[in-house]
Amino acid sequence: MAGSTIDHLVSLMVFLGAILLFIGLFNQTIQTAILYQRHRSIATKCSDLLDNMLLNPGVPLYWGKSNCTPTGFGLQDPEFTQYRLSPFSLMRLQSLTGTPFTYPRTGTTYSNMSVGFGNFLFVPYTEAINYSIASRLLGTNNTYGFQLTITPIITVSIDETHAANPLTLTIRVAGTGFPLANAVVSYCFLKVVEKGGQNKPSYTSMFNTTYTDDEGSAVVNIQNADADNAYAFIAYAHMSGLVGVGYHERVTGHKEYVLPLIDSFEEKRVLLVHSYNVHDFGPPESSVFFNATFVLLTEDFALREMPMDNSTGKLGKVVYGQGTEKQYGTLTIPTYNPGILIVTYQSNNEYGVVLMPWGISSMAFPVTFGEDPTGKEWVATDIRQVLVNNIAYQAKLALWSLQGYQVIG
Amino acid sequence: MMRTIEVFLVIIIITTAFIISSFFAVLPQPRQVSPLNLRRLALTTLQTLDVDYDLSGTAFKSPNDLTWGQLQIALSACLPPNIVYNLTVYEVLSGGTQLYLPLHSISNAESLGVSSDASSYLVASSNVTFRVIPEKIGERGSGGTLYILNCSDANGWWITGYTAQSLAADLYNLLSPYFKATIMVQTTAQLRQILNNNTLQGEAVQNAVVINTFGEAVPIPTEYCTTPYSNNSYAYYCYFLGQKVRLYNWTWASIVGYPFYYVSNTGNFPNDQNTYGIYGMIKVNKPGMNAFLQGLDNKPQYTYDNTEIVKDVGVVNLSPQVLDCCNYYGIYPSPYQTSTRAIQKSILNTYPHLTVGLPIFNEKSECYPGALYNHINGAKIEGSLLALGLTRTPDIRLTAIGLLSYYKPRLYRSNYTATDTSRLVVLQLGQVGGV
Repeated sequence: MAGSTIDHLVSLMVFLGAILLFIGLFNQTIQTAILYQRHRSIATKCSDLLDNMLLNPGVPLYWGKSNCTPTGFGLQDPEFTQYRLSPFSLMRLQSLTGTPFTYPRTGTTYSNMSVGFGNFLFVPYTEAINYSIASRLLGTNNTYGFQLTITPIITVSIDETHAANPLTLTIRVAGTGFPLANAVVSYCFLKVVEKGGQNKPSYTSMFNTTYTDDEGSAVVNIQNADADNAYAFIAYAHMSGLVGVGYHERVTGHKEYVLPLIDSFEEKRVLLVHSYNVHDFGPPESSVFFNATFVLLTEDFALREMPMDNSTGKLGKVVYGQGTEKQYGTLTIPTYNPGILIVTYQSNNEYGVVLMPWGISSMAFPVTFGEDPTGKEWVATDIRQVLVNNIAYQAKLALWSLQGYQVIG
Repeated sequence: MMRTIEVFLVIIIITTAFIISSFFAVLPQPRQVSPLNLRRLALTTLQTLDVDYDLSGTAFKSPNDLTWGQLQIALSACLPPNIVYNLTVYEVLSGGTQLYLPLHSISNAESLGVSSDASSYLVASSNVTFRVIPEKIGERGSGGTLYILNCSDANGWWITGYTAQSLAADLYNLLSPYFKATIMVQTTAQLRQILNNNTLQGEAVQNAVVINTFGEAVPIPTEYCTTPYSNNSYAYYCYFLGQKVRLYNWTWASIVGYPFYYVSNTGNFPNDQNTYGIYGMIKVNKPGMNAFLQGLDNKPQYTYDNTEIVKDVGVVNLSPQVLDCCNYYGIYPSPYQTSTRAIQKSILNTYPHLTVGLPIFNEKSECYPGALYNHINGAKIEGSLLALGLTRTPDIRLTAIGLLSYYKPRLYRSNYTATDTSRLVVLQLGQVGGV
């Protein structure tokens, strides 16, 4: 009787133990399968969401060229179909990477999309679309987090290999995986003419074309440009449908310069402000005189200067102090065609040039929009090749889930 | 003891079940769980390469042509380094059992790895021509005549940089395919003929479209250079025109500026100028437009009215209806224009029979920068006015797209069935590295 009871007890204990063990084992497998399934669905969502952003222009259609907050989020150029993005909609995305700054004269905070000194793009927060709005419009708030990066496929880098007359510049053109050999390079060289004193600087411009060699390099010699001249050099490289942009500036004054800030997309208005509003290097706080021009890329890939009337505010001076003088200049860009605003300046006989793209593609600026995916548990990514005003870009979306087990980092 | 043995047997069975289920329940590799959408990447790469029809051009070149090398460089440059590719061009065959014949292939790897995906893209030869046959306005009803005022004995204003004659020629090229008959009104005498319901070439005068290419000026026949038409600096002539537009159910198109601001006849007004040095015209001023609207509104008596009905509203946008039609008809004026002569919305109150049949530009500041107005009598349209209150110089594409957007003639496109004119490009992508 006792043996039977012991047998019963032992067998029951062993059975329960085994059942628990197997439940754990099967649960592990099922859980892994569910997680894989969830990850798979994130990947599908990533692909769908990327297409959703890139294949619809948003509401209203031309929100990129207005100051309004869209009621539907989309980056497609409304004048085209397929994967062609609006250079202005992209410009209105609040940058994740740049350090924002507040212009104390107007109290406006600007999203910083600049690419190094002299290549500025500042968009006011009041007109930039932030991640929260985009997420809400896409229906992903509280469910998915994302980061959208739009980077140019073709890199055009320009180095100064001989500073004195003749100025020699080496242009290197490469794609994401290969140099672009035998590409056509159209370029614009804009030299600041030194006038001295309290004068607004003038400039001379030169446009030409060259070709890259088998290694994707081209050498350009510029006559009548000395080592102490300030200039800007902009190059467009193109081959078999791929177009890339590069730029290079030399300045002799890098403390006091002009900073272009976008004021209104709808009115095409740009504020030109004194650099001491960003970095105050201390006295002397001299006025900065400027002379602006606008160049655009034509359909035959040649750069063309677009004349600007004096009424657009292309000539003027800006001061830093609090006096009665006008503290910033206002300039109206004459067109919605993407191009480059070139501002030549002089202060205390120091000269320079700053550039600002009008339409993100004209200087192939990259855009990083959204949240940082660092530390997220599972991030799905997908990429597409896109065109932004004929400049080849790669659009990459990183997506992660904010809901469910083992998805929050 | 027996129960313990039974339990161990159960454990063995469950263990076996677990091992067997684990064997079959193979979890996919991470790459398969979260794959890069290679199909979409391939398609967008092909589209990028064909942005200026470079890919289309290369696909029809011989395999020894240098452009194949350029295409390979571009392809290698634009794809990420961990992507391998194979691009093959096929001839599209017809009539046989074989549909596609491979012609040429370029690749950067011997194999495309364990998994790959492909997209296809059909390219057309530059030799192919597509035929589009437009429906004629008036084909399914009455009317269908387009009159373009091209009077040699009148001068234009606010058409700086052009002559009325050059604008008339461009309008003829743009719009004549869409109308049953397109008549150039060569003189003011011919204008008088149609104002008296006499045909010029056997066309239908009723329900016609009349485009005034003279900008703010309107040609006046000699017979009307007298009273009562000359009353109030020829405002009465504008009233008379409004009456005729209503009577014949015309659509009168004013291509730019302030409509009916001047009347012009170089023979009758040789010493009169518009105060800007253009001879052969007399300034009617603001009453001209008001008089026309009175005539269109069938006011029994003309009353002098000097009310300002236009405003400067600055930059304006094309309306969504017209933007849609731009793609359909392939006419692409700039969607942004400057309007300094936008007609105020209040005219709809002054003339209650007047309605907006088509806004060509979006309404701005209580004004219509450009619109086609209908005079409605019950349910019937009796006369229309297309007024583009834009600043000079005129873009006649706006007039053309405005009229086409209103009448909406259909386009019959020929089927694309020509042989040896299309090739299929297949780009297959594979991923290397990783798991």
